Amino acid sequence: MKNSISQIKKDLIEKKISVSELYDEYLAKAKSGNNNSFNLVIDRENNISSINESQNRYDSGNPLLLDGIPLGIKDLFCTKGIRTTASSKILSNFIPNYESFVTQQLLNDGSIFIGKNNCDEFAMGSSNETSYFGPVINPWKNKNSQKDNLVPGGSSGGSAAAVAEGSCVASMGTDTGGSIRQPASLCGIVGLKPTFGSCSRWGIVAFASSLDQAGPLTNCVEDAAYILNSINKHDFNDSTSSNHQREDYLIDINNSLQKKIKIGIPSDYLEDVSDEILNQIDNTKKALSKHGIEFVDVEFKTTEYALSTYYILAPAEASSNLARYDGVRYGVREDGESLDDIYLNSRTKGFGDEVTRRILIGAYVLSAGYYDAYYRQAQKVRRLIKNDFQRILNEVDFILTPTTPNEAFKIGDKLDPISMYKNDIYTVPTSLAGLPGISIPSGLSKNGLPLGVQFIGNYFEEKTLLQLAALAEKELSFNE
Amino acid sequence: MSDIDIKRISYLAKLKLPSEKEEFYSNSLKDIIKWVDNLKKVDTSKIEPLHNVTEKTVSIRNDEVSKSNSVDDVLSNAPERAQNFFKVPKVVE
Repeated sequence: MKNSISQIKKDLIEKKISVSELYDEYLAKAKSGNNNSFNLVIDRENNISSINESQNRYDSGNPLLLDGIPLGIKDLFCTKGIRTTASSKILSNFIPNYESFVTQQLLNDGSIFIGKNNCDEFAMGSSNETSYFGPVINPWKNKNSQKDNLVPGGSSGGSAAAVAEGSCVASMGTDTGGSIRQPASLCGIVGLKPTFGSCSRWGIVAFASSLDQAGPLTNCVEDAAYILNSINKHDFNDSTSSNHQREDYLIDINNSLQKKIKIGIPSDYLEDVSDEILNQIDNTKKALSKHGIEFVDVEFKTTEYALSTYYILAPAEASSNLARYDGVRYGVREDGESLDDIYLNSRTKGFGDEVTRRILIGAYVLSAGYYDAYYRQAQKVRRLIKNDFQRILNEVDFILTPTTPNEAFKIGDKLDPISMYKNDIYTVPTSLAGLPGISIPSGLSKNGLPLGVQFIGNYFEEKTLLQLAALAEKELSFNE
Repeated sequence: MSDIDIKRISYLAKLKLPSEKEEFYSNSLKDIIKWVDNLKKVDTSKIEPLHNVTEKTVSIRNDEVSKSNSVDDVLSNAPERAQNFFKVPKVVE
């Protein structure tokens, strides 16, 4: 079992290890780079003052929330003075001169960044195979086929692999349609997507602004609460940032839930799933029933429309958001005789296949003659999906689903985009509804690969969601 | 579904697809548009489009002057600059 943040902080307080020694341990693993989980590892010299300041705070008995904790940061968060590429050729030379809101909170709380985690290009992908810097390899191996390299999931695949391989204690990811929860599941770790509007999007390279949300990938549920306490704050720089009162997610995390809990299992999600996946749900149900939690069947009416809705709205927003990459103000410029040639050449050569595909889908569904039929219709169906979730969350407190329809697959196995998109069938609906979801490891497949389950809670109710997940984690924990 | 005019779509997106890739993207787009076509059968005649999913009141900050990026900061990533400007080929004859 890898050390939790609270255990590491205890060791630092008791001087069993110094901040510098701790950092070096993780840095060495990150530098070995076996799984290509980092686009950039930050030089030790650039972190030395943070390390010393952190040690001073431990020495004076006043450590901060995340003091000295080595973190990975998905290469989608702008980090001041540190190259931020979104794993794209077009941003491969981009050095932001400001810090994203979320990463600034993590720095304010004393954490130390190991580096920038590889991800799918502009966070578009479910396998981390679309990165300009090459695919990330899942640290887990199929025990019946040891030499195969498997995908870590995506788009926060580098973050998930880095936490799983132990090259950072936790990593910040982003989730648009499953990009935290799906890789967390395939790499056997915890991934939390908070409610849309919880954590500021300011300084995160935009993919689909009505869906993008930052969240942690961690070794355990308690670590997710640590990170959430740091990053879940209102920010005026993001107009969709909610200004509701935040709770302390860490306190009481291991206490039993205050009231009697009812969890819904959507029967329509479980049609056509493999026995292995079904077992994850059954085991979770059995384990939690012992604690007096009641389970009921529920049924969505909109599940069959969720992926279609997502694959209209997300590309539409992406095509608009990615219009800013033109080779003029920042990013890589390709030569051209006229300004128009610079635009065309920079964009065409700067974007990879999947990003190009999504820009084209977006341009199509937003174009004259198709806007109402596709984009506007999808926005209306999105409301029906949200209403569907609200109907069910009036009957139950939480929803339990598988996180993914399958275990980690081989790199290069899924070439057809639609079969790739179907990987997100259990995570996309939650994203469309804007609800919080957490994936926790639930067991191993016959091939010895991790599988996960997802709990979905009501808007801004991350506190009880984390308490439930912590309870389930205790019951379901498996050793590597 | 009508045919997809890949040249027009790529023009709208400011992309110049190499001719050997036009068919690849065209077919891919056709498949995906066909796949998402099931939304057309949903009755949404009485439904309003959803823009901001949490529908919380957008909070407005006080209008206070604050220090932000300097000209050098803003131009620090420019592929080409001339004094305090981004430099591009001549646009107006």
